[in-house]
Amino acid sequence: MSAPDMPAQGRAAGLAPAAPRAIRRLPALGIGRRGVVGALSIVGLLALWWVLTTGTGFVAPYRFPSPAEFRGALDQFVTDGYAGGTLWVQAWHSTRLVLMGFVVAALTGVPLGLLMGVSPRAEALLNPAFLLVRPIPPLAWIPLAIVWLGLGDAAKVLVIWFAAFVPSVINTWTGVRGVDRTLIAAAQVHGAGRWRMLTEVIIPGALPMIFTGLRLSLQASWTTLVAAELVGAFFGLGRVLDAAYRDINPAMIAVAMVVVGILGAATTKLLGEAERRLIPWRS
Amino acid sequence: MKDIHFEGVGKAFRTRSGSDFVALSDVSLTVAEREFVAVVGPSGSGKTTLMRMAAGLDHPTSGQVTVGGKRVTAPGPDRAVVFQQFALFPWKTVRENIAFGLRCQGAPRAKQDEVVARYLRLMNMEGTEDRYPHQLSGGMQQRVAIARSYAIEPDVLLMDEPFGALDAQTRTVMQEELVRLTRREPRTTLFITHAVEEAVYLADRVVVLARDPGRLREIVDVRATREAEGWDGMAIDAVMDLPSFTHLRTHVWRLLRDQIRPDD
Repeated sequence: MSAPDMPAQGRAAGLAPAAPRAIRRLPALGIGRRGVVGALSIVGLLALWWVLTTGTGFVAPYRFPSPAEFRGALDQFVTDGYAGGTLWVQAWHSTRLVLMGFVVAALTGVPLGLLMGVSPRAEALLNPAFLLVRPIPPLAWIPLAIVWLGLGDAAKVLVIWFAAFVPSVINTWTGVRGVDRTLIAAAQVHGAGRWRMLTEVIIPGALPMIFTGLRLSLQASWTTLVAAELVGAFFGLGRVLDAAYRDINPAMIAVAMVVVGILGAATTKLLGEAERRLIPWRS
Repeated sequence: MKDIHFEGVGKAFRTRSGSDFVALSDVSLTVAEREFVAVVGPSGSGKTTLMRMAAGLDHPTSGQVTVGGKRVTAPGPDRAVVFQQFALFPWKTVRENIAFGLRCQGAPRAKQDEVVARYLRLMNMEGTEDRYPHQLSGGMQQRVAIARSYAIEPDVLLMDEPFGALDAQTRTVMQEELVRLTRREPRTTLFITHAVEEAVYLADRVVVLARDPGRLREIVDVRATREAEGWDGMAIDAVMDLPSFTHLRTHVWRLLRDQIRPDD
């Protein structure tokens, strides 16, 4: 795990002696210097936003909303709703679809990657088909999915699955092939059978790469969902973006963008937490 | 307990440029039951290949390797290997690493706990059972690897430069501990090393290999001298000062020296 992903408290309390010396800590607050700099950068960005849109009027409101307009759009979204639902309804609608598509992709992609990693026969059989389908950008599947399944949820899950499947397969596969050969030999000479080899050597050895794949899959899920909802949907944050664009409502566009960003970051964070718990042997 | 039998073993392969390379040529050697044989040789003499063939991780292109009269075709728990880079499972604790082979055999939990406790005691590692390998020093990691191999009570122990990755002081301690362990629980052992003193100190017999192609040069008996002089009761540095030790060491060293090139 890279340092910026790690919660500041965890780093201060952690035993990791490898933490770079350059990052000094403010022990009383438990916040690293990096955290302080990060907060400064956010405050600076917000100040710049206010100065450009409100203080100087350098950026016209029809191009980019001022903080006050943003606040107004957010209030409207939360209380009255927009494009068929309030913030919570729309956000949950999108999040639910992302999670469904992601879970389906992970549950199919990771096993397939494992299979291709351990079985040369499976690799020989599946790899050509995979190489053929892989260059098609996930978003290019959206029209087909709509033709097949319409504008409802099923089409969205299908498209997310197509998009999120590939990184899970490839990274799992790479992870399996990257497992230390000596560890496999060590398991063999101590009597491990095939199942134990898979569950106790190959999967744990590939786990860091599997999580890299899952993270990419999750990001692909959000990207694809928003795109698919932009193309055509009844609900969801992409639908909100599309409606706000038609209404020429930059403030609502910005609100929807920020909500997507926060949800994407939050789900990635949850995945990182799962990784941290599942890989306790990593220093 | 089983013996290891190399019968006219050779290993040749074609290099990328198309020429044939002979890694090992016509090696015949028997490691008797409960005997400790060390193999020394310059790099490129095929000593690790020899060990890997006995393990079933590598295969001869001529001749055959038998363990306990059975031809070796694949790795198996009757021939445990201790690797130079320890090869501990990073995701398993010390306890889980040592118990790994026993779990593969389906040993009951009580038996696993008993064996783990016994080896932790023998290795002076009590209290470390819940640590992960990366939390241990190199010497401790290799102790765990040795315990993991001893724990399954293999007929044959194969050690591939097990102390090669350790610093000099740790290596000395480990050599003494291995002597203690191996005299207490003698097992048929093939020990690969490039350190002459280590070979002479640990082994019953020292096999010296030559290279280009890798082949048997001479087999030096150490056991008779060691038992006559009572090395096992002495500290390693005291043994290394004895004339009987230095005589054997110099003999082995001379067999190696004339084949070492400046680029080694």
